[in-house]
Amino acid sequence: MPAENMGQVSSGLRRAFAIASVIFVIALAISPVKDSLLQWKRYKRAYVKFAETRPDTKKLLADYRPDIDQIWIPEMGVVDRCTTCHQGITQSSLLDASVPEPFPAHAPIPHRVREWGCVVCHRGQGPATEVAEAHETTLAWEQPLLPVRYIQASCGTCHRADLPQAPKLTRGRQLLATLNCVGCHRLQGIDRPDMLGPDLTGIGTKVSRQWIYKWLKEPRTVTDSNGNTVVNGYDSEGTPPRMPQFHLTEAELRALSAYLITQPGKPVGPNPIDPRVMAAWKNRPGAADQGEALFRQMFCSTCHSFAVTRAGETTLIGGDIGSELTKVGSKVNTDWLAAWLRDPQSYLPHSKMPRYQWTDEDLYKVTQYITAKLTDSDLLTDVPSLGAPTPAEIQLGRRLFVDKGCASCHVATGVPPQHDLGPDLSAEGGKDLSQLEFSQAKIPRNLIAYIQAKITDPASVNPTARMPLYHLAPADLDAVTTALLSMTGPPATSGMQKLQVPRVEAFFHPTGEFGRVYERYKCYACHQFDGFGGTLAPDLSYEGSRAQRQWLISFLKSPQTLRPTLVLRMPQFNMSDQDAATLADYIGMVLQSPAADSSAMEAVKFTPQDIALGKQLYEVKYQCQSCHTIGSTGGYVGPNLTNAGNWLKPVWIEAWLRNPQALVPGTIEPKRSMTEDEIRALTAYLLTLRQTGQTRSASRIIKGGANRPASETEGQR
Amino acid sequence: MTRRWALFACVSLALAFGGSCARKAASAGPDPLRNAYDSEPDWNDPQKVIPLNYAQAQGKRIFYAQCVWCHADSTPAGPSNRSNLNPVPALMNDGTVLNSESDDYLQNIITLGGSAVSKSAMMPPYGQTLTQEEIRDVIAYTRAMAQPPYQPPARAGSKYTSR
Repeated sequence: MPAENMGQVSSGLRRAFAIASVIFVIALAISPVKDSLLQWKRYKRAYVKFAETRPDTKKLLADYRPDIDQIWIPEMGVVDRCTTCHQGITQSSLLDASVPEPFPAHAPIPHRVREWGCVVCHRGQGPATEVAEAHETTLAWEQPLLPVRYIQASCGTCHRADLPQAPKLTRGRQLLATLNCVGCHRLQGIDRPDMLGPDLTGIGTKVSRQWIYKWLKEPRTVTDSNGNTVVNGYDSEGTPPRMPQFHLTEAELRALSAYLITQPGKPVGPNPIDPRVMAAWKNRPGAADQGEALFRQMFCSTCHSFAVTRAGETTLIGGDIGSELTKVGSKVNTDWLAAWLRDPQSYLPHSKMPRYQWTDEDLYKVTQYITAKLTDSDLLTDVPSLGAPTPAEIQLGRRLFVDKGCASCHVATGVPPQHDLGPDLSAEGGKDLSQLEFSQAKIPRNLIAYIQAKITDPASVNPTARMPLYHLAPADLDAVTTALLSMTGPPATSGMQKLQVPRVEAFFHPTGEFGRVYERYKCYACHQFDGFGGTLAPDLSYEGSRAQRQWLISFLKSPQTLRPTLVLRMPQFNMSDQDAATLADYIGMVLQSPAADSSAMEAVKFTPQDIALGKQLYEVKYQCQSCHTIGSTGGYVGPNLTNAGNWLKPVWIEAWLRNPQALVPGTIEPKRSMTEDEIRALTAYLLTLRQTGQTRSASRIIKGGANRPASETEGQR
Repeated sequence: MTRRWALFACVSLALAFGGSCARKAASAGPDPLRNAYDSEPDWNDPQKVIPLNYAQAQGKRIFYAQCVWCHADSTPAGPSNRSNLNPVPALMNDGTVLNSESDDYLQNIITLGGSAVSKSAMMPPYGQTLTQEEIRDVIAYTRAMAQPPYQPPARAGSKYTSR
């Protein structure tokens, strides 16, 4: 270029430069502008403005930083930036409905939010810095926030043991266990029990083919006008029946009933009742009526339920440990029934039914009552005539037994047990959407909707599903969903493994003579021993510190209720003196509480002044009569103390008054600040309360379900 | 023509970064129980379900373990001890009685028992059995269930909230 033309730039070029410079400046400006308009920065600024409107501005802004806040929990692999926007999460003054999102404080919970962050419980994407990416399902992130309704699932991810603070999770886990879900699925924290459904190898000796047909078609014997079963046992929510409904065709029903009825079970011998007893009663009326009285005395309804119809509404009343018996007389063969009552474990080794001490006469009367009164003549009227099983039916039946997964819960001769027929659900709660098959179902594409659709109508998400139908109440569906969401598979990191609170399986099967009697009467079906056993009746882990030997023996021989509002449910076992003594001796010797020192106090002599002071403390200062009854007056909350002097050991009374919670954690009676003198005086007074000539209160016996059975240990209405 | 370019450049750039801000925060679902830790039907109207938060749900658990026996007309074990007592204890959800009592007063009577606040000694003290936190939870549950509904008093210091 010539020198004289230096500095002369064509106007076109100059314009191009100008435009390029403008674009360059704009492009440079975009980045800081865009940066300052980021969502999280806007929330940071909004929080400062919001804090300035509050009286405690200084405190609210004490640890404010203008950049991203992050909680990092390396052992769980969690990076959590939620507090970047949720800045007031730990400010107790912001725990108020009027505080705008995202600034309100978190309601108090047992874990510290600053330590654990949010995503551990609420899920969502922790490292995200945008509202949508943190909370919702996006293309890059499939785990949306867990609705608070199911939040207890997150408790269960670490707490494998049951938590009282998470009742929905506990209920869900219980349902998964009682509904026998482990028959087909692998579940985290729920082991396969010994017996899921009954062993069917001897079913042919127990019921008729017609009854099997009817049961398979509709595994309910009691239904209301809508065809639904109303179960109203111990808890008002009801427990759905364990046998699910399979929708079987006519041919399938015929085939399965043919296959099962021909199971080559151990034949039931001749009726075990002495023929002379049967002959003597043959022409005498009243056997069934006397049997009914015996049946009630034996408290069968403690474990078994019966349908009661009142005002057109049918409800099941009684326990859910054994099966429902309303129409059992139309179900079982008489010989089988007598043999079963005599020795249940010879037919079903895992049965929890106690082996009663029968006289032949009583056994005859009760079988007469069951087969004559607990019947329904219409039960089998809609079953077509089935005739003799044909080989083709039996063969098809066997194939169906395997195909339908019956062997998952039941045992049949020659069919290997099937486990894991359904998919493994032990990591279901952590599954990605890509692992779920939604088919044509018109449901939201998320894990919760999938689980609920799968339970309510398995065919909606998988037309070829073999899973039977379960009819769950909405609250139970939520509980089961919560429990399944808590199953996120084995811990991903070793740190996570350390954090987990494992579930401890309790076990109490003593050997020796006590063990034999304990197994015979199945004490653990209702009572707890060191955390093992049922929850229907009082925990007996420390009974030896509580009850006097003589009282225990007379109670075992003739049980009576100690609690005025509770229905007595302890059966009369007709226990021999020797069995009762064996139980009382072992209980007194072994089942001792460390909180009650049995060597102390036994020798203490009480003075009349002690007793008078104790009576005054009982009636005036502590007003014990508001909860306890003596004679015929007093409250219904605690046990009746009329016979406390014969029942309770002095050392137990003393330890109890000092701190009831130390002996029975969670008991209703609170700890008080009594002086040693007061404790001594009250103990002296209570020991004077003695009843002579104990009588069994007949009015407490369940009469046709007039009394609502209730559990002592249930915490919820 | 250049002006048109400049305009085009500006608009397209504005769109580029404006778009990322367009997405709005998620709105809460229509179901009020979706964000409830637990719930319980109103004692006076079983059709109405009252949502409970974590603290209130813990209060519910403690109430049904310790308090229900005298402060409700039916209990998990059937009949209640309430009708047995004189003076008759207040129903847990009775707002006409409890709404006028302050949280501090309720905290005191539960902690120290009835005799400490010149009421019936039949109300035992729970201060050595329940923690203060647990008693606060029970009060929170009572407030949530109260009929007529409980209106918290104006917060101390709320006069400063809009300065």
